[in-house]
Amino acid sequence: MHILREIYDYREMIFSLVKRDLRGRYKGSVLGFLWTFLNPLFQLIVYTFVFSTIMHAEYDKYYLFLFVALIPWIFFNTSVIGGAGCIWAQKDMVNKIYFPREVLPIAHVICQLINMMLSFIVIFIVLIVTGHGISIKALAYLPIVIMVEFLLALGITMLVSSVTVFLRDVEYILSILMMAWQFLSPVMYGIDMVPEELHVIFVLNPMTSILTAYRDIFYYKEAPQIGTLLQATVLGVVLLTIGVLVFEKLKKHFSEEM
Amino acid sequence: MKHGNAIEVSDVSKSYKIFIDKGNTIKERALFSKRRRHEYRKVLNRINLEVKKGEAIGLIGHNGCGKSTTLKLLTKIIYPDKGAIEINGRVSSLIELGAGFHPDMSGRENIYINASIFGLKRKEIDKRLDDIIAFSELEDYIDNPVRTYSSGMYMRLAFSVAINVNADVLLIDEILAVGDANFQAKCFNKLREIKARGTTIVIVSHSLGQIEQICERSVWIHDGNIREEGTPRKVHPIYLDYMGNKRAEIAEKEADRQAGISRDKVQRENPDIPLSLQIEEHENSEIESLEEKSESNVKFMKEECKRWGNGDAQILSIELLNSFRESKSVFETGEKVIVKIQYKVIKIVKDAIIGIGIFRNDNLSCYGTNTRIDKLEKFDLDKDGEVEIMLNNVNLLSGEYFLDIAIESGDGIPIDFYREALKIEFISKISDVGVMRIDHTWNFK
Repeated sequence: MHILREIYDYREMIFSLVKRDLRGRYKGSVLGFLWTFLNPLFQLIVYTFVFSTIMHAEYDKYYLFLFVALIPWIFFNTSVIGGAGCIWAQKDMVNKIYFPREVLPIAHVICQLINMMLSFIVIFIVLIVTGHGISIKALAYLPIVIMVEFLLALGITMLVSSVTVFLRDVEYILSILMMAWQFLSPVMYGIDMVPEELHVIFVLNPMTSILTAYRDIFYYKEAPQIGTLLQATVLGVVLLTIGVLVFEKLKKHFSEEM
Repeated sequence: MKHGNAIEVSDVSKSYKIFIDKGNTIKERALFSKRRRHEYRKVLNRINLEVKKGEAIGLIGHNGCGKSTTLKLLTKIIYPDKGAIEINGRVSSLIELGAGFHPDMSGRENIYINASIFGLKRKEIDKRLDDIIAFSELEDYIDNPVRTYSSGMYMRLAFSVAINVNADVLLIDEILAVGDANFQAKCFNKLREIKARGTTIVIVSHSLGQIEQICERSVWIHDGNIREEGTPRKVHPIYLDYMGNKRAEIAEKEADRQAGISRDKVQRENPDIPLSLQIEEHENSEIESLEEKSESNVKFMKEECKRWGNGDAQILSIELLNSFRESKSVFETGEKVIVKIQYKVIKIVKDAIIGIGIFRNDNLSCYGTNTRIDKLEKFDLDKDGEVEIMLNNVNLLSGEYFLDIAIESGDGIPIDFYREALKIEFISKISDVGVMRIDHTWNFK
């Protein structure tokens, strides 16, 4: 409880770090912040081209089917892979100044979250422009799903960022691990394509229910099933707890290891 | 925690794991697990320290003695193995300046980032913003990106943020060397102001002068223990003397090494002369100088630590004269005082410094200067002699004062440091108050 209070006291630092990261990223480029929108848009154009002219997928409007799950996946992926080094990268600060160490992974994940939200604007525009449409009733569930994914991403980021301080390999192992995780999650295909005997893996994978929920909301325009939401929430909370526990255990020795 | 204490360090020990061959990757961990030998080095050994609210203390000691570790423990960057540290109130540290600065963002934006890392909330930063900018003297540049700043400007901005945090406890590590002389003086005044406001201050510094100016108490940490503690005036002489001896030892070793080299050289160049003869010569002279040194040290450490130094030169007599060259010890405020010092030279002192300090009987430093501060030409003390310091118009108010006289060598080794060498009293018919009289007039208009 004490630590939550402290993190709250340092909210300005979280805000500053996020702002610095967002503003600093495209500094010096001509288009600047516009890249935040252009990036996902160009990605979408490429997918549309590839999947409508070269590779024909089973799903109707496959580029949309893919895109609405890919954006949340990218949020999760960049949170974890980029987040692994987020403490190591600030070692000068960690070695010299006291602040609640949790601030670093939190700021990193929030930064990725904001990038995802901005990409959602692109999704909304595309959904409307292509005539696919939006269901307001389904959208009401979006904040919950985002919240659950945020908790999950934060939990895993806290875990890997603290472990990376002691074992630098984690950062490199992760890029392979995350690629495997992507293919074992329903990003490019729906859960209905998974053979029955592999369902266990998918049930245990917290990203399965989260991505399914996103797809329900945007692509199928219907409210996600309560079971899906519940499963995602439970797995998210469990992983966050593990992440926090490991982080709290390791954080006292950060400075001595770097 | 006891009432009125700001910091309590009780029984704190800290060891560092020292890896002889450190590896942080899996390969190194798995393959070379045996090679990852490590040992524990004890940095702090059951330290106890209490700092009262509003008190300023200085931590001194040679490099690696544990003073920076103590500061890191207080900052909560690292944690003690044993014991407990309690701190009351908000802590700010002047250890890392400019944390989180982004070169492409403006000075103003960076103030917000930097201050937020010190734990300030937005409203608090808004409130301090003007003070911070004014103190940094960067009003005209504050909206330019920080990358366009000179390094001096950068440090000024960083320091301004750190010093305006308004913490209850301020931890400072050797950073009062910011900017030019003017800015340094300003920082120092600011520190005094902060202290007067009741902030507790802990300084780690090699500059004993700075500590003397700000701190009431010096703590000498030696090999993980507190070796001496007390007023700077009491602790620093003992510390300086220790360091002086240490340096002399190192110098001797170096001389030995040099002698060894030259001996080899002599042997190589003059193979005809038997080696034993050459060595004998050298050893004789060394033994002589050693004896001389130890003798003089013993002699000078007596007298309750009021006088110390290696004794290469000695102050024989100090006399105070008035403008008619009459010997006196009581002067009137505003009178001219001549300090006449006679000294004896035992061994040549290269690049000597002679200094004088005046202290009120409550240890208030009133004035101090030396031949280096006054930019006199470098000189060596090579034979016995006499020096007079003419103090014109000594405007000290009535009271009892003490005079410190010191001879030091250019590299800071005390030769003969004589604390409270002489008492001098001032009397005044006017009952003005303070430390010194300032020449003044009253004009009504």
